[in-house]
Amino acid sequence: MNKALMTYLIWPLVKFIIAFIIVQGIVAAMNWVERRLLGLFQARLGPNRVGPWGLLQIIADPIKFLLKEDIVPARAEKIAYFLGPVLPLLPAFIVFCLIPYGPPPTFTVTRVNVGLLLILALTSTAVYGIILGGWASNNKYSLIGGLRSAAQMVSYEVPFGLSIIGVLMMSSSLDLVTIVRYQEVNAWNFIPQIVACFIFLVSMNAENNRTPFDLPEAESELVAGYHTEYSAMKFAFFMLAEYSMMIVNSCLIVTLFFGGWTLGMFGVGLTTDVLNGMGILGGVIGAAIFFTKVMLFLLMYVWFRATFPRFRFDQLMDLGWKFMIPLALANIFVTGIFILAGQERLMYWIGLGVIGAALFYLRPKKKRAPTKVTQKVAHAG
Amino acid sequence: MLVEYPKPRWSDKFLLLDLLEGLKTTLRELFTPKVTIRYPEERMEPADRFRGMFKFSYDRCIACKLCAVACPIDIIYIDVHDEMIEEGGKKKKVKVLDRYDIDVKRCMFCALCEEACPTKPKSIWLTTKTYELASYDRNDLYFNMQELEYWDDRPKYTGLPEAEPQAQLDEPKKQITGGVQ
Repeated sequence: MNKALMTYLIWPLVKFIIAFIIVQGIVAAMNWVERRLLGLFQARLGPNRVGPWGLLQIIADPIKFLLKEDIVPARAEKIAYFLGPVLPLLPAFIVFCLIPYGPPPTFTVTRVNVGLLLILALTSTAVYGIILGGWASNNKYSLIGGLRSAAQMVSYEVPFGLSIIGVLMMSSSLDLVTIVRYQEVNAWNFIPQIVACFIFLVSMNAENNRTPFDLPEAESELVAGYHTEYSAMKFAFFMLAEYSMMIVNSCLIVTLFFGGWTLGMFGVGLTTDVLNGMGILGGVIGAAIFFTKVMLFLLMYVWFRATFPRFRFDQLMDLGWKFMIPLALANIFVTGIFILAGQERLMYWIGLGVIGAALFYLRPKKKRAPTKVTQKVAHAG
Repeated sequence: MLVEYPKPRWSDKFLLLDLLEGLKTTLRELFTPKVTIRYPEERMEPADRFRGMFKFSYDRCIACKLCAVACPIDIIYIDVHDEMIEEGGKKKKVKVLDRYDIDVKRCMFCALCEEACPTKPKSIWLTTKTYELASYDRNDLYFNMQELEYWDDRPKYTGLPEAEPQAQLDEPKKQITGGVQ
């Protein structure tokens, strides 16, 4: 066999298929994890009837979707209606080629030196599917839902991209592997770039239409927004795209801010060199660390969903344009000043200070004065 | 009702620390005991004054038919005949109950029959703890007087057959008492 063929086609394909299967397994499991965990947050048990601990729910849901009738509305634009669910799915799948799951070169599918830019470009195209799906349904409310969703996603694309720039300035590379290797030598980026990490986390939720920002498909208020007219497998594709994008964004935040596959800072701990020294076992350990971190962020999505009430649309836009974007720009400016002055280490102390202050705020303490309830006296006349 | 919330601190306005407070609250709720009762495996033991299914006592009943009169939808069917018995050398006429049927499928559990009953204690009463009254056949819900008196001896639903492994419980079974007050 040709060596070049092996290096550039067969191995990446095999690796991609393995990564794809793992990630799709997580997507399928997420459905159950989310419902179960949300139940536990709400003093319920969640789905526990199908199989042990309700685990067969993971299989039962896709079967239900497959067996349902696939309805196409009358006078729907057939091709666009079909493309609607497929378009958001494609970039989500392609992006899984670009994420480094473990120490290179074995555990990265492809290594692109502008990987981050490519990921941003690909994930942005998911909006087309939503607009197309809303428009092709031949339903004016679906169209409005699609446009609302698009407005939200495009708005939060800006702070999403701007928050990454701080990380790029620190590690001076667009290559995800280089960014991770920068973090293991210095601190994980969430310490010096704590503000950017916060913005990324918030806009990540907004990008995925997750709960504080789930206006496009507000479950308790709307029918479904842009995918009202979709049923059966097409609807499942929208869900699949949404959960895949959740995993993509979790992978991104882990890679950019939480040290990717490494478990160490300042060159101490399980760094890439240590893992590579252990051979293939080290690689597996690295991938396990990576996926554990990703799972933690997926659980965080559910935690947020259990906690925060939904934003109003104008509040959503205010938060995006009046708060997040100026904050992201200020973060770039301040980071630039620190880098110019050669004082990157000072940023670690600031980041640690912020994290420490937040932990101090959350310390176990006596309850604040309980909510006072007073009887309002109704005046006669 | 006027609810006064704690005064926001100056820092709450821009630091968004109340979000962290909310996250902390929900995280605490994650580990609280859950209120769900997994019904076929676990059952709730109702409180002592729970009003459930009827119960009838043949010994106490004096066959006065007041309950049948009080019943707003006339689902209590009573047949009586007179009998002469000797008590202390004197002959005495007593009423003997032949039939006491209640068509429970039409009953609305208004308990007017219980109120009307003149005996002490009542010979028809509703403060039993049974709430599992569903049936696969509507004819099962027509009770005669033996059934009304001894209905709690009938075979009870005891969960699914052993052969089928059931959804496993996450926690050991618990008996919940006094849930309904």
